[in-house]
Amino acid sequence: MDNPYVPRPYKVLSSARETADTFTMTVGMAVLHSPGQFVQVSVPGYGEAPISICSDSRKEIKLNIRQVGAVTNALAGLKKGETVLLRGPYGKGYPMKKLNGKDIVIVGGGCGVAPLKGLIDYVENHRKDFGQVSMFLGYRSPDDIIFKKELAGWKKKYSINVTVDKKGNTKSCIDAREGFVTDALGETDIRADKSAAMICGPPIMMKGSIGILKSKGFRDKQIFVSTERLMYCAMGVCCHCMIRGKFTCLDGPVFRYDEIMDIENG
Amino acid sequence: MEVLLLKKERLNGFIEKLQQDFEVIAPLKGDVIRFLPLKNPDDIFLGKNAYFPIKEYFFKKNEVLFQFNGTKIIVPELPSKKRAFFGLRRCDLNAIKHQDMVFMNDIHDPYYTAARKDSYLIGYHCNTAPSPYCFCGSLELADYFDLMVYDKKDDFLVEIGSSKGKGMAKKYASLFSKTSKKISEEEKKIPGSDRLEKKDISLFYNNSDWKKGTDLCLSCGACTALCPTCYCFETHDEVKTSNINEGERKRNWSSCQLQEFTRVAGEHVYRKDREERFKHRIFHQLEYFKEKHKVPLCVGCGRCIEGCPTRIDFVDILNNMKVENG
Repeated sequence: MDNPYVPRPYKVLSSARETADTFTMTVGMAVLHSPGQFVQVSVPGYGEAPISICSDSRKEIKLNIRQVGAVTNALAGLKKGETVLLRGPYGKGYPMKKLNGKDIVIVGGGCGVAPLKGLIDYVENHRKDFGQVSMFLGYRSPDDIIFKKELAGWKKKYSINVTVDKKGNTKSCIDAREGFVTDALGETDIRADKSAAMICGPPIMMKGSIGILKSKGFRDKQIFVSTERLMYCAMGVCCHCMIRGKFTCLDGPVFRYDEIMDIENG
Repeated sequence: MEVLLLKKERLNGFIEKLQQDFEVIAPLKGDVIRFLPLKNPDDIFLGKNAYFPIKEYFFKKNEVLFQFNGTKIIVPELPSKKRAFFGLRRCDLNAIKHQDMVFMNDIHDPYYTAARKDSYLIGYHCNTAPSPYCFCGSLELADYFDLMVYDKKDDFLVEIGSSKGKGMAKKYASLFSKTSKKISEEEKKIPGSDRLEKKDISLFYNNSDWKKGTDLCLSCGACTALCPTCYCFETHDEVKTSNINEGERKRNWSSCQLQEFTRVAGEHVYRKDREERFKHRIFHQLEYFKEKHKVPLCVGCGRCIEGCPTRIDFVDILNNMKVENG
């Protein structure tokens, strides 16, 4: 029987910088997956880290990675043609089939936009299955905006609101307003009745966004959160990612909000 | 289940026979009581349960998952070990059962399975609770052994619990005598072991009494290390100093009682307060595991209480928890 802890080798097809501390790596892993799922990426000698898939293709997967630790910094050094070790995909993604016909509200903060990009790609590939798409994407500064190229394309098709905590002096081709993503969300008219909202970002931003959505009439069952947790095994055993008895790696990382509620302390 | 009689003077003979066929692991008295490889059958200590749990033999404190050389991965050979464990109490047998559920059913863990599959479990029934902290009688324990030894004053009765047990009884048949006696369910109950009151703890999630468990907590992690069921782990890579491309990925026990347990990139910690972490441990033991596996994880051995440097007694805290208004 296969050893479930052992990652397999795949080819790096490309690696492109997004911002000063993030990059997107395309890996030649042809695998069925749903948006919101993740893989365990290994760099021998550094360790392993869970990275969400930010694309929707059966030929390859894209991983948007922020350099915040040993593994992610080592991954930044991998070049086209080199080998990366992966296992997965793991977890439960967004229940796209069940959301057919719905308007999609996307709320993302920082690198939390990465798993949502997989969902956006899916919606693009199945455009007729969904209604209106509105996005609320927040970043620290214009320099921290990821998927700039894709954003320009999305802008033509969807309702987009980009916020940055501080504009600073940098020029950006992206039209972003200063403030928090929750401000933009609060000021916009979004209909709760035929919508599903997908949130991913820092805990405080998720909490704030959930509050606003609920005040606009969203029920817990219409809100999907993609959670981040420390994890090692990704198979529901090591227990680090447990939230009130649910495993982020197995039952999540995407949860319908009524399934977990207490994101912070559960 | 079939029961045999073992005369008291034949116990050592039985152990010696076992030693011819197995490596025998039994509780021995040293600085504390531990399960250790047995040399002399006279050294077996059955007066009290072992301070350290049995899990180290199957779910090791340190395990090499694989070696690596660059991106090439070499999985170590995992030979099975033929071992007989003697003197396991009902709590510890059930702890093995619960870890079997995790490592051999939820997933197929090759390391655990290799260590576990050729082990023979010989239990020793507690006639009374061996420690004031025991509460196995309050939990949902089951028969889970190959052989179980009951001390019946004049003789031992040995109950056969599996085909492995049957095989041993057959092989060492000359030591046993036939008996018409049976072990009743009543005899399997251990007097003085039901001090955890039955309660739906999900009603107490927001109770202010959880604080009682943490005012004294030093965050040392002894409770989870001594727990025979706690199975959390982490992995990390170690490289050779002579060649940093070569090394090993290792698995170690970890503890949900420490802040590091949930620390993610950006230094964010979930369940930041000790109170939340304490509550999480108890809820995992009594509720969360049960939601998935139909039985609480906790087996009531009391080690987490006895081994706690400040003797935090979660059983006491739960028993005294009252429904709060508002």
